[in-house]
Amino acid sequence: MKIITLDNISKRYRLSQLGARSFREDFARLFARNDSGGTDEFFALRNVSLEIEAGEAVGFIGPNGSGKSTLLKLLARIIYPTHGKVAVRGSVASLIEVGAGFHPELSGRENIFLYGSIMGMRQADVRAKFDRIVEFAEIERFIDTPVKRYSSGMYVRLGFAVAAHINPHVLLVDEVLAVGDASFQSKCLQRIEELRRNGMTIVFVSHDMTAVERLCQHVFFLQNGQVKAEGPTSEIIHQYYEAIGLDAEVAR
Amino acid sequence: MVTPKIRLETTSREPALENFIEWSDSLAGHARELWKHRELLWLLTQREIKVRYKQSALGVAWAVLQPLSLMIVFTVFFSWFARIESDGIPYPLFSYAALLPWTFFSTSLSSAVPSLIANSHIITKIYFPREVIPLAAVLAAFLDFLIAAAVFVLLIVVYRVPPSWNLLYALPLVAIQILFTAGISLLLSAFTVLYRDVRHTLPLLIQIWMFVTPILYPASVVPQRWRAWYFSLNPMAAIIDGYRRAILQQQPPQLSYLLLAAVVSCLLVWAGYKYFKHLEREFADIV
Repeated sequence: MKIITLDNISKRYRLSQLGARSFREDFARLFARNDSGGTDEFFALRNVSLEIEAGEAVGFIGPNGSGKSTLLKLLARIIYPTHGKVAVRGSVASLIEVGAGFHPELSGRENIFLYGSIMGMRQADVRAKFDRIVEFAEIERFIDTPVKRYSSGMYVRLGFAVAAHINPHVLLVDEVLAVGDASFQSKCLQRIEELRRNGMTIVFVSHDMTAVERLCQHVFFLQNGQVKAEGPTSEIIHQYYEAIGLDAEVAR
Repeated sequence: MVTPKIRLETTSREPALENFIEWSDSLAGHARELWKHRELLWLLTQREIKVRYKQSALGVAWAVLQPLSLMIVFTVFFSWFARIESDGIPYPLFSYAALLPWTFFSTSLSSAVPSLIANSHIITKIYFPREVIPLAAVLAAFLDFLIAAAVFVLLIVVYRVPPSWNLLYALPLVAIQILFTAGISLLLSAFTVLYRDVRHTLPLLIQIWMFVTPILYPASVVPQRWRAWYFSLNPMAAIIDGYRRAILQQQPPQLSYLLLAAVVSCLLVWAGYKYFKHLEREFADIV
């Protein structure tokens, strides 16, 4: 079963509109109406069509600015495509920035409930998994301390711990493993593998080819907002290294 | 490599298709999704309140202090010194009856309108129906209103205001006020994402609005020939005048103006929600 389908997706940004506008600017734009739309536009994704099977772990690789994160945000419903259709069968949870929903003044305990709820968990569900989340994050002693006093490592551990205990059909993971120390990174990878074995679909974005190789069965190589290649992991990683002018053997 | 293709255990439990771009544009669909996120709405409300009171010595007393201190200042300057009339009602009671709902309204606007910008770090990282953010701000202000209402009950007892069945009008009045406030909050909070100017003009807007609403003066000072315009154009005037009549003067509110306010409030919620959901798709791109 195809759990994710992207049908001819494009995402356009107007460079001059990237910030919020003011009345005055919009007024000025109204009168200076020469927007031919040429250099002002930037396509983060252009005519991307792809499908992902349920239960698969899929990786997206590519240089910076290739559209990987934009694609993940589209799947997460954070942004909307300019053209095309995104369809996902089932619930989605995103680990785009771990702990993004935390409030610094609230305690770890309060934040677990808040963050869980933002990610779409029921409160009863959070309560049931509370002990496991705290244990996974290794912050038992500090659970009632405001998270603004947490070290950055504790912050990330708590964020990942909550996210790793949601039970979505699709889990989106963006580069979050780059933070945290080596032992926690491998713990996170282990957890993601465990979720995959239980049938969860994983969409993984990373520059860490070792992690991609360990986790993913199928990889998409993005460049300039388009899918350049897709296929079995090792093959595509090899193509990627060639494309960016890196000797695959040296890179390892 | 062995790639097991289908790993979802049961096909009977196949999840429903979620289609983003043709995502239903019906308000009923949006409302259903909001209902699914009611726990989040409540948690964000709690967060708003906890954060506001956590590091202040006075804590929840702030909710009372705002209308109470204004009431005292108004009583001294407008009643004792300037001798503004108050329809024969003791001025502290007269002004508090209006300041209480007014504080609910102004606190709602001043926290809801910039709320989407203040929460941009969540909006750009996680999906959830965005309207819970401004609505949580309104709900938190409503809880403050309930706390400050305790002081009002005390004043009513102290001044021996006779009870009457007209007190029951307070319930529809509160309901209309909540609708009106929610509608404006949705509209302006979405608008603020597009035009930051709104945030800077808001304090002025609230201040002017306060003076065109019968708070420190009775509505009866407005000349008769302007009164229809006065109540029709400003639903808050009809609402606050209604509170005074129902609670302090044992009369029903002016029902025709109140009905108009109710209709306007419903239209505002409808239009505000529609506009909000229309702009919502762009929030993460521009916030």
